[in-house]
Amino acid sequence: MNAIEVQDLRKTFKVQKNREGLKGAFADLFKRQYSEVTAVKDISFKIPEGEICGYIGENGAGKSTTIKMLTGILVPTSGQVSVGGFVPYMEREKFVQNIGVVFGQRSQLWWDIGVIESFQLLRKVYRVSEHDFKKRLDELVERLELQELLNRPVRKLSLGQRMRCELVAALLHNPSILFLDEPTIGLDIVVKSEIRDFLKDTNREHGTTILLTTHDLQDIEALCSRVIMLDDGRIIYDGGLEELKQRWGTGREVQFQFGAATRLAQLVQWTEGMPVTWTAENDLGAKVWIPLELNVSDVLARVVGAADITDIKIIETNTDEIVRSIYQSGSADKPEDKIAALQEEKEAAHV
Amino acid sequence: MYHLGLLWEYLKNYMKTRLTYRADFWVEVISDLLFQATNFIFIMVIFMHTESLGGWNQNEVVFVYGFFMVPFGVFSCFVNMWNFSERYIVKGEMDRVLTRPAHNLFQILLENVDPPSLIGSFIGLVIMAISGANLGLPFEWWTIPVLLLLTLSAVAIYTGIYTALTSLSFYSDAPTGILPLMYNIQNYGRYPVTIYNRAIQVLLTWIIPFAFVGIYPAALFLQRDEMRGMAILTPVVGAVFLSIGLLCWNYGVKRYKGAGS
Repeated sequence: MNAIEVQDLRKTFKVQKNREGLKGAFADLFKRQYSEVTAVKDISFKIPEGEICGYIGENGAGKSTTIKMLTGILVPTSGQVSVGGFVPYMEREKFVQNIGVVFGQRSQLWWDIGVIESFQLLRKVYRVSEHDFKKRLDELVERLELQELLNRPVRKLSLGQRMRCELVAALLHNPSILFLDEPTIGLDIVVKSEIRDFLKDTNREHGTTILLTTHDLQDIEALCSRVIMLDDGRIIYDGGLEELKQRWGTGREVQFQFGAATRLAQLVQWTEGMPVTWTAENDLGAKVWIPLELNVSDVLARVVGAADITDIKIIETNTDEIVRSIYQSGSADKPEDKIAALQEEKEAAHV
Repeated sequence: MYHLGLLWEYLKNYMKTRLTYRADFWVEVISDLLFQATNFIFIMVIFMHTESLGGWNQNEVVFVYGFFMVPFGVFSCFVNMWNFSERYIVKGEMDRVLTRPAHNLFQILLENVDPPSLIGSFIGLVIMAISGANLGLPFEWWTIPVLLLLTLSAVAIYTGIYTALTSLSFYSDAPTGILPLMYNIQNYGRYPVTIYNRAIQVLLTWIIPFAFVGIYPAALFLQRDEMRGMAILTPVVGAVFLSIGLLCWNYGVKRYKGAGS
């Protein structure tokens, strides 16, 4: 069964235009000009139960707007949404009983009272029985090591501590779907990986479906089997992370450290006939870029036999770079296709 | 039951947080009382110059003022939406409210309860008792239940009007001017409406019915037969305006745009 189903979802905002200068401000007083901004443009996707899905895109791509429609905060302009069998904005109060929400930039907790008292209050709001609450809280507190924090007021917690408490707050009622909007924003590496581990465990043990937005691609690599990439309100990629890497990774890079000075011309000569590119870092170091279709071992065989090598390092294109180049081109199609398409367009223009 | 339970929990939390800022608590109580005292002195000053105001003597006007304070105190305690636009719309806290399984308006009211305002209600009761005794008003078996009913109706009127006005925040970013204006107009309701001209009477009775939070219901206890019909209408007006307010609100929530990322 699908936890989340979205069909042709669209959200349009009316944005007020401010005219320039004092005269413009005065004109605005009497006649406002509005422009329509479509934040989410007819997107469709399905997320099966128990999946962890990453939702990525640049700032302003429409991630948060989508999450807000999925959680029932915003009413879509058009299209269908179904989350856990509910239409989020229709039966909001019944629907939210079933989901957990964490907004990295906003707190769910009460600022002035102890963490445990916030949890108690949420217990009442979500109608969790005393017994279930105790069991769940013990489990979460132990897992996230919050024992010492429980009696402190939220305003005295560090960001990392607060974030862990936010996760507990969102999971106290054992929701089947968890929405996380930038859960690791501003956290240090230790806390980040703790949170990732925790989310993974939650997903495995309780079968919780998780949808998270993030700018940190390591979150995605650590957690998600699937990514949905958004650009300017449209889905430009929806599929596995490995597939994305394969599709976009254009080649690998091998770094050599030599025992004796080796000239660039020499290296080029060794690999003659291969479509590789050498760059020298200094006398004792060089890099070679090998396209995907070529076997790394073939290149290595030629160099290793001839040169005096102290160290070799093979570097795959990392996700950061892949995503950056997709953002820049604004499409997840293969770059070659893109270039071909561009050329066709040009030719057409000439004719 | 669920809602009452939540109310109790939020009140407990209010106490916990407020008692840590004790000085602030007392400053609020005292400034509230001073505010009421200035209004009260104003009535006294008027009656230093005249024997009656539109056919109402000093004790009657003071009684009306006392009644006016009772629902107003209850309303200020439980329905405090002054900073709604800034806190929930501009800062986007509405997001959080909407992801919890209780009605959003109810949650907002709970998060902003202000129990010190209830002190005003108690003082209002004391004023009613004193001026009522001066006037020799009878205390009947129905006095308390009717007082309760009329107070709740008046609170419903306030809540309806202010909820409808606050829901404008969902459409426009800053409906600043209207609330203070209303706040001033509602004070007209504690004087005999007959002293105003016809247009203002109609306004205060049917359009923004603040006459129903002071003079009309109070007239019932003062045995003013000319206003008895109006007094009996109070619960109806309360129900109608509360419904309008809630409809506006629920419609407005659908237009909520969220803030920031």
